[in-house]
Amino acid sequence: MIAMDEYKGKVSPDWCPGCGNYSQLRAISMALSELNIKPEDAVISSGIGCSSNMPEYINVYGFHGLHGRLVPVAEGIKWANKNLTVIGYGGDGDGFFEGTQHFYHAAKRNVDITYIVSDNQVFGLTTGQASPTTPIGRITKDTPDGNIEPPFNPLHYALTAGATFVARGLSGNIKSLANIIKAGIQHKGFSFIDVLSPCVTYNKINSYDFFRKTTYEVKDNNTKDFYEAFKLSSMWGDAPQSIPTGIFYDVQSPIYEDADVVLSKYNLKDTKPYQLTESDLEEFY
Amino acid sequence: MNDIIIRIGGSAGDGVQSSGLSLAKTLSRSGYYITTYNYYQSLIRGGQSWYQVRASDEVVKNQGSGLDILIALTEDALKRHTSKNINEGGASRLNGIAIFDDSMITNYEKYDDVKYYGIPLRDIALKYNSNPLLKNTVALGAVMASLDMDFSIYEQVIKEIFSHKGKLIDANIGAAKEGYEYYKNNYKIYKSIKVEKRKLFMIGGGEAVGLGAINAGMQMYFAYPMTPASSVLQFFAEHSKKFHVFLKITEDEISAINGAIGANYAGVRAMTGSSGGGFALMTEAVGMSSMTEVPLVIYEAQRPGPSTGLPTKTEQGDLNQILGAGQGDFPKIVLAPGNVTEAFNMTKEAFNLAEKYQLPVFVVSDLYLAEHIETVDFDLKYEMDHGLRAQENDPNFKRYEYTENGISKRSVPGQKGLMHNADSDEHNELGEVVSDVITDPELRRLSMEKRMRKLDTYIKNLPPTKTYKMEDAEYVVIQWGSTKGVIEESIDSLRSEGIKVGAIEIDHIYPMNHDIEKYLKNKKIIVIENNFSGQLNKLIKQEFLVDTKFIGKYDGEAFFPEQLENILKNIIVGKPILEE
Repeated sequence: MIAMDEYKGKVSPDWCPGCGNYSQLRAISMALSELNIKPEDAVISSGIGCSSNMPEYINVYGFHGLHGRLVPVAEGIKWANKNLTVIGYGGDGDGFFEGTQHFYHAAKRNVDITYIVSDNQVFGLTTGQASPTTPIGRITKDTPDGNIEPPFNPLHYALTAGATFVARGLSGNIKSLANIIKAGIQHKGFSFIDVLSPCVTYNKINSYDFFRKTTYEVKDNNTKDFYEAFKLSSMWGDAPQSIPTGIFYDVQSPIYEDADVVLSKYNLKDTKPYQLTESDLEEFY
Repeated sequence: MNDIIIRIGGSAGDGVQSSGLSLAKTLSRSGYYITTYNYYQSLIRGGQSWYQVRASDEVVKNQGSGLDILIALTEDALKRHTSKNINEGGASRLNGIAIFDDSMITNYEKYDDVKYYGIPLRDIALKYNSNPLLKNTVALGAVMASLDMDFSIYEQVIKEIFSHKGKLIDANIGAAKEGYEYYKNNYKIYKSIKVEKRKLFMIGGGEAVGLGAINAGMQMYFAYPMTPASSVLQFFAEHSKKFHVFLKITEDEISAINGAIGANYAGVRAMTGSSGGGFALMTEAVGMSSMTEVPLVIYEAQRPGPSTGLPTKTEQGDLNQILGAGQGDFPKIVLAPGNVTEAFNMTKEAFNLAEKYQLPVFVVSDLYLAEHIETVDFDLKYEMDHGLRAQENDPNFKRYEYTENGISKRSVPGQKGLMHNADSDEHNELGEVVSDVITDPELRRLSMEKRMRKLDTYIKNLPPTKTYKMEDAEYVVIQWGSTKGVIEESIDSLRSEGIKVGAIEIDHIYPMNHDIEKYLKNKKIIVIENNFSGQLNKLIKQEFLVDTKFIGKYDGEAFFPEQLENILKNIIVGKPILEE
């Protein structure tokens, strides 16, 4: 096991005190540490938003890109060097608005990356607008009369797209979240982890207290059963123990890198590029 | 120039293009230098299309003016290409022989300067096979006879083309031979050019970019299909296994460019490509490549816009978009090859520049360049320049170190002790964001200047600007991209009439070489571009504060030499060569 300190970034997080992202930073570091993944062999690709500032705060290779585009960057990195542990990390606004098509297709391809979303149901960095997961009726900065759009269900989306690992975590429950992330990283294929993450500044409703009351950890569920996973993903409410957390779906299916004619044979980073010779021009004679 | 221009006219679905390719291949195998021109529409069936091959015993620089031989596959084609009111974007009407099926095509106006050589193409073809495209083979056999060519070369080409469809080989050879004999028995040889036997490769602009990328060690290509960039994508689709190049057709162009950036960040040479519409979607990430200092090669094959525009036509209308792509000021390099050989060489150059300067480099093409074929000879010599790389565990490593030439050492994932954050936000030397926590105007200034200094370094290392016959020129034509060949030929023609004109050929288009200025003093400057507004023209005026005359063409077709000579002569001596 590599010491947790090895993953500590030189910059301290600028998140609000109490932000759910702190727990995720710790859980990700813990997962990498327990899986013995060296800092130089891990890459975090992030988008734009509060949570996406993560790569600065963790001592692995980081790519802090554009809003909504962390998944294609992560795919490019993974396909260039399959030996790397590639984690996509961003928020719900980032991933479920502008990033939806990338999310869908990465899940469909079953590319071997882990995509973690800090889902706080609000736009934090732009100071509190409705996000794709904001509940209907919620009053936010840009929905003064209440949000009229039904929320996006990221777990349903991942499942129907073809993700082979789908889980819901909870910020604050670090040990359990770290275990989910560990399983996600170890899973061969596209792993999606939606992390319920309180925004202490712009979402006063879905708070730590709210989630302590409403969530519970699933036990003895059949992670090979798509419909059971779909059902667990559907469960949501204000009542005690109405929101399940944990690994809902975990199946094996061929990954993109094994199906691709080139990637299945080569790790491109370690492969000398093809040397073009005169004989290669013969087909144009 | 002792040349022959042959055109095949018909509709989509008539096999115009495949016949044109067979013709080009046979001519090239015989030792002719060739170049082709493809006129088509975004259609699967119908409409009108034509394919032109120009062949000579000298290097052919463009599609040429004049028309010696027409294969008319339809009545419409015969009428169009013989008409005195021909309206094909500058292409000449027929002034030679028309080969057509006179049992099928009977209703047309006859012109005195055209020889009508009817051949029962269909009846001959039916003797061998019911495939309707076989009549094209009969016609091509006749063309070989009209040029007094050795039939065996065409026979060999047929064998190779139909090698995977065994039964059709004999049918095609039989039909071609009968077309060849029919012509010999009934008509005179049209023209016979003696050519040396030489080995020439016949390569299209898109293939040249693909081969250049392979030669440069590219291992990954990310794209979304869009004409006319798709010829590169198609090249990689066909050669992925052989060259072990990873090809990814992504969900959109935004994914394509972000994926290519991810791959380059991880230390593997990767490229993305599109046409103007797809590239418009990529623009935000162009700035990200520059901000994170991740090398990137972007292939942009222009077609006429705006919006969907003319999908199968040519234009040079995206220069403004490329120069302006992305928010903010950032360093980038724009290269614009002028022909197929330059497309190959400049693609290779682009990959080294991208790594050396750690920024986005554009290779700009257009439909004409991307989809026409030339006989070429490529130089495969190449040294990969990976630029500055950090040594593992270097305690002093600063990924974005402020250096004199603007270039900092780079590390890639997997390298020990060199972890850093590549950030799209403004950052300091270590990659730490300066806007959120540290908010430091001084650091912003230093980081901005560090990145922009790379362009000063690049300009100092630029090769001299290419020129053509500038020694005693009084008139200077300035061009970029695929108009190179047609402009050179127009200049030759004007010079033969005593007009002292030369050209500046700007292939390293941005940032621009300052040496151009010395060619502009006391000269009359004419800027020629395949667009409406004169996008390079404005840049020239802005950079060098000179008066210019702009000539634009924006009808979807390339310039044709006679057309351009006419326009140039009109400007220079005030009268056209031809009556309009």
